[in-house]
Amino acid sequence: MSKEVKFEDQVKELEKLINELESGEVDLDKSIEKYTQAMKLVKECDKKLKHIETQVNKIVTEDGLKDFNIEE
Amino acid sequence: MNDKYLTVGAITRYLKSRFDSDTNLMNVYLKGEISNFKAHSSGHLYFSIKDEYSKINAIMFASNAKKLNFKPVEGSKVLVNGRISIYEATGNYQIYVNSMEEDGVGNLYIAFEKLKKQLASEGLFDEKHKKVIPKYPSKIGVVTASTGAAVKDIISTIKRRYPICETILFPSLVQGDGAADDIVKNIEMAQDYDLDVLIVGRGGGSIEDLWPFNEEVVARAIFASKIPVISAVGHEIDFTIADFVSDLRAPTPTGAAEMAVPNLSDLITLISNYKIRLNEAILKNINYQKLYLDSLKNSFVIKNPMIMYKSKKQFLDMMIDKLQSIMLNKVNNARYEFNMLANSHVLTDPSYLYKDYQNQLANIIDKLELLNPLGVLKRGYSLTYINDQVVKSISSVEVDDNIKIKLSDGVVSAQVTDKEKSNE
Repeated sequence: MSKEVKFEDQVKELEKLINELESGEVDLDKSIEKYTQAMKLVKECDKKLKHIETQVNKIVTEDGLKDFNIEE
Repeated sequence: MNDKYLTVGAITRYLKSRFDSDTNLMNVYLKGEISNFKAHSSGHLYFSIKDEYSKINAIMFASNAKKLNFKPVEGSKVLVNGRISIYEATGNYQIYVNSMEEDGVGNLYIAFEKLKKQLASEGLFDEKHKKVIPKYPSKIGVVTASTGAAVKDIISTIKRRYPICETILFPSLVQGDGAADDIVKNIEMAQDYDLDVLIVGRGGGSIEDLWPFNEEVVARAIFASKIPVISAVGHEIDFTIADFVSDLRAPTPTGAAEMAVPNLSDLITLISNYKIRLNEAILKNINYQKLYLDSLKNSFVIKNPMIMYKSKKQFLDMMIDKLQSIMLNKVNNARYEFNMLANSHVLTDPSYLYKDYQNQLANIIDKLELLNPLGVLKRGYSLTYINDQVVKSISSVEVDDNIKIKLSDGVVSAQVTDKEKSNE
């Protein structure tokens, strides 16, 4: 997950946009603008959630970070 | 008679023999807290052992005291083994301690309570210091032993729930000497790894095993951490100082991992629900706008554009009517006036204009006629002239004067014969 925009912030923004749209108090031009923006966020969030690189486990050693795996 | 009275010594000896013949009192295991501790120069130790209800005197002879592996002090929690007997000289019963060891758990409990109280009074456990655990962490630090159940539980739980998150393990001693310092070192090191949350803990164990998490240094390191800390020490029932000072206490390491990360599938559902809600919201919005547009299109005015100017036209018509009637009135008035003029006598009979004058003239003439002295003559009057002068008085003539008398139809010449003055 990228650090530049936090997932948490994206979800918050998304919630805000949806609530605004659902309130029905936004005019059509604005609501289409907001919808487009929200859909972009949905795609980005979706991408992050489905971006399954196997989980990175690292261990801090005297030689720096090393991969670490637990035996199940 | 005196025979029935016992001496103090005799009753004490009797009691002592009763104590000493009781096998229960020969080998007593006792736990309590040391008070009134005195180490005599002889090497014997004199003290009391007490709990919250009672107190018993104790003596430990130098031969046994030498074998102690700790230095008893006032307040120490101790476990002792010995026999209970009576010291004849004072008549007090006391325990003759053979062996004594520290009551580790008891001491730990005291230390725990003392530290807890102190840190609480410093405000280290206050809610206002609790940091919020981020909902969707991307990097999680774990301070625990690199082997054992705890690390496995934490990492496998994170992997199962939220595989998109990175974990960094800070392998640490978690029990025994040096564990507390090692935990502190790792918590401090973790601060530089850009972590969203830090799990600090270990699996279950005895209170001694968990003890490093009750150490003041660990508590202060957790308090100082800029990363939110979830403590996960032992089992559900184990409470440590680390639990009180951390931002969130997890009952177990697995619990800590569950608290640290959301469930990915829940999140995917959340996002897809957002997507559904978004589409519904925008469709609803568009439909609403469409309905609104339709209602506009169907509005009376748009459907009957004539109506828009009909009323204006009505007004205009009214104004035109009004204007016309005003103009008509004016024309009629003018015409009427014209007719009046046209029909006036002056125009229809211009003679009328001077008829008046004729009449007037006739009147004047009549009047003039009346004034004409000649006219008067007609009625029989006459004018008398002398030398062409009208005679108005007898004084104007003399007897024998020749006069002329003018009548209406001619002139008579005559001579004055007499004159006589009238008397009126």
